[in-house]
Amino acid sequence: MDESNISFFDKEGRRLDGRRVDELRPLKIEVGVLARADGSCYIEMGGNKVIAAVYGPREVHPRHLQEVTRAIVRYRYNMASFSVEERKRPGPDRRSYELSKVSREALEPVILTSYFPRSVIDVFVEVLQADAGTRTAGINAASVALADAGIPMRSMITSCAAGKVGDQIVLDPMKEEDNFGQADMPIAMTPSGEITLLQMDGHLSQDQFHQAMELAIKGCRDIYNLQRKSLIDRYNQLENVEAEPVEEVKACD
Amino acid sequence: MTNVISEIRKDFLYNLLLKGERSDGRSFEDYREISIERNLISKAEGSALVKLGKSQVLVGIKMQPGEPFQDSPNRGVIITNAELVPLASPTFEPGPPNETGIELARLVDRGVRESKAVDLEALCIVPGKQVWIIFIDVHILDDCGNILDASSLGAIAALLTTKVPASKFGLGDDYPLPVKDIPIATTAIEFSDVAMFDPDSDEESIANTKLTVITTADGSICGMQKSGTGVLSPDQVYRIVDIAGEKAKEIREKFLEA
Amino acid sequence: MDRRVVVPGDLLSDDGKRSGEGTFVKDGKVYSLLYGLANFRDRINVIPLAGKYVPTSGDNIIGIVKDVTFSNWIVDINSPYDGLLHISEYPMRIESDEMSKHLRVGTSIMTRVKDVDSTMKVELTLSDRKLGVLKTGRIVEISHTRVPRLIGKGGSMISMLKKELNCNIFVGQNGRIWINGGAEDMDLALKTILLIEKEAHTNGLTDRIVEFLKSEKGARS
Repeated sequence: MDESNISFFDKEGRRLDGRRVDELRPLKIEVGVLARADGSCYIEMGGNKVIAAVYGPREVHPRHLQEVTRAIVRYRYNMASFSVEERKRPGPDRRSYELSKVSREALEPVILTSYFPRSVIDVFVEVLQADAGTRTAGINAASVALADAGIPMRSMITSCAAGKVGDQIVLDPMKEEDNFGQADMPIAMTPSGEITLLQMDGHLSQDQFHQAMELAIKGCRDIYNLQRKSLIDRYNQLENVEAEPVEEVKACD
Repeated sequence: MTNVISEIRKDFLYNLLLKGERSDGRSFEDYREISIERNLISKAEGSALVKLGKSQVLVGIKMQPGEPFQDSPNRGVIITNAELVPLASPTFEPGPPNETGIELARLVDRGVRESKAVDLEALCIVPGKQVWIIFIDVHILDDCGNILDASSLGAIAALLTTKVPASKFGLGDDYPLPVKDIPIATTAIEFSDVAMFDPDSDEESIANTKLTVITTADGSICGMQKSGTGVLSPDQVYRIVDIAGEKAKEIREKFLEA
Repeated sequence: MDRRVVVPGDLLSDDGKRSGEGTFVKDGKVYSLLYGLANFRDRINVIPLAGKYVPTSGDNIIGIVKDVTFSNWIVDINSPYDGLLHISEYPMRIESDEMSKHLRVGTSIMTRVKDVDSTMKVELTLSDRKLGVLKTGRIVEISHTRVPRLIGKGGSMISMLKKELNCNIFVGQNGRIWINGGAEDMDLALKTILLIEKEAHTNGLTDRIVEFLKSEKGARS
């Protein structure tokens, strides 16, 4: 498709979906949406509908995968057949293996795996509807699901992408901007600014790269606030907690 | 991964059974609360999210033109697949469907196919060359028991919302997929000479016999499956089939008829 | 007395010395490790809202035998880790080939965690008269995070339950609870325990449980 024929911005500089260059798509986060999983989170980021579940720590099967001093972390990114325009054959492909690997590497740095030797923490992400940015949505949901499961972490992880379309750096590219844009750069980071995921494809000058980083970092800050709010609101009946704290007591008979 | 906990739950459930009770207070024939959300996946031609108690199943329908099978050159094609993804249960493992997943998909397919809910001849575009292919993709999200009935319900609910995407392929305007029947699957377990409908996951783990009956809008049976390693007497079968017809009618009327 | 819901990474205090359970110290400041309730006393503890039971030495728990080897029973203790009960920890001297006769697969036992090493090898013991096989009665399982609430401050909740329900109740640290008494009393005990689990974090729970028991027992007579 000839890019020069597409106008990504209108006269006022608004994007195809009406956003400004530094605006995120609408975001919705629900915590604890699954009964069987130890922790879970459903997220909508623009047209993305993604659900993450955490099982663990639990026994590792097959046994030879276990590590004596820490838990192993597994991350499986998977897309439902009906999540994309042209029906996708079920099962992992090369893209999902790569996404699974970098997503796991985005979360593992903050998980205290040494607390659970010889076990596994399994993270499963299912994309129910895809609209550019499924990996970032998956990581955001996974981070909340890990907290929901009671997994000890040094901090939450938040993920967001910046892109370049029509020579302009934009935050959180949508489908058309991703397909016909000139660069796509997803990142993930802790609230204090440590980068745990960084990928890029396309073309960016040094200057444009700096702009993209700044935008993505700002986007992560906003998403983090919603992750945190969703977790805290989830137990709003606890605002009214008992005056007498409950001690940790050894079981008696 | 075996479930050691079932020893404790077995005991607990068995004690309740002796008093004619189930752990959530239902009668032996009651279904848990059902809710159906439709058209939630805009990229799919049709979709439905079914919640049956705490079980959750998402079914998506995708359609595209393709070649017919050689032995039925003028009929459309239905392909049904079920993904029992590991997200949905601690006992589901990643990988292609195992025998349970395949059985589930084939039963969902049986209900749709044998009830003739979808007129396959009407899906012919160019005889012998091009027909509509319907993909019914069942995606289990949360297995809290009886995902089969939930999947079957999701499939027909999704088909009822499906729009044939003719315009996308230059084949005219989009139109609603004609659906001519509403098959409903109802499953019961046999435990200690009692038939319990819509088993939850604990009840499933203690039962070794299940019977699924799929009925059509006029009450005829279009599919059946006994699964598990137990046995059923003819009387037990008749009893289950009787109640199955009634339950299917209730569910159909409450959720799927306009 | 300050309590609030926190998420992993939340800053709790500038004073590193106040670091308690569920927290970590970085650059002299205390942060939360968990999604849970932060309790601000001399030390700051974060109690998780969810999580798996991880055994500690001294815990009294209920296990279910899942396998028998030549010198150990492998015991499911409702944790990512199995417990190992060595033949020498059985209260009687028995031979290796008699092991299944005494404790077979599916047997429930009241046991204590003797030791946990750095690789999470969990050793159990039955060498104590208060421990042993659970033959009668019923076992129910709740989330282990609710066990402190079920026991109550100084054991207040559990003592009240034992008295009002006229049942023997053993609360395992791993969330498994054993009840023994008359059939109707056990039914009520089960219902009550599940209710406490459901409402563990709410206000005025003790009073509501007392009310609940009164009305249930009243309905019976």
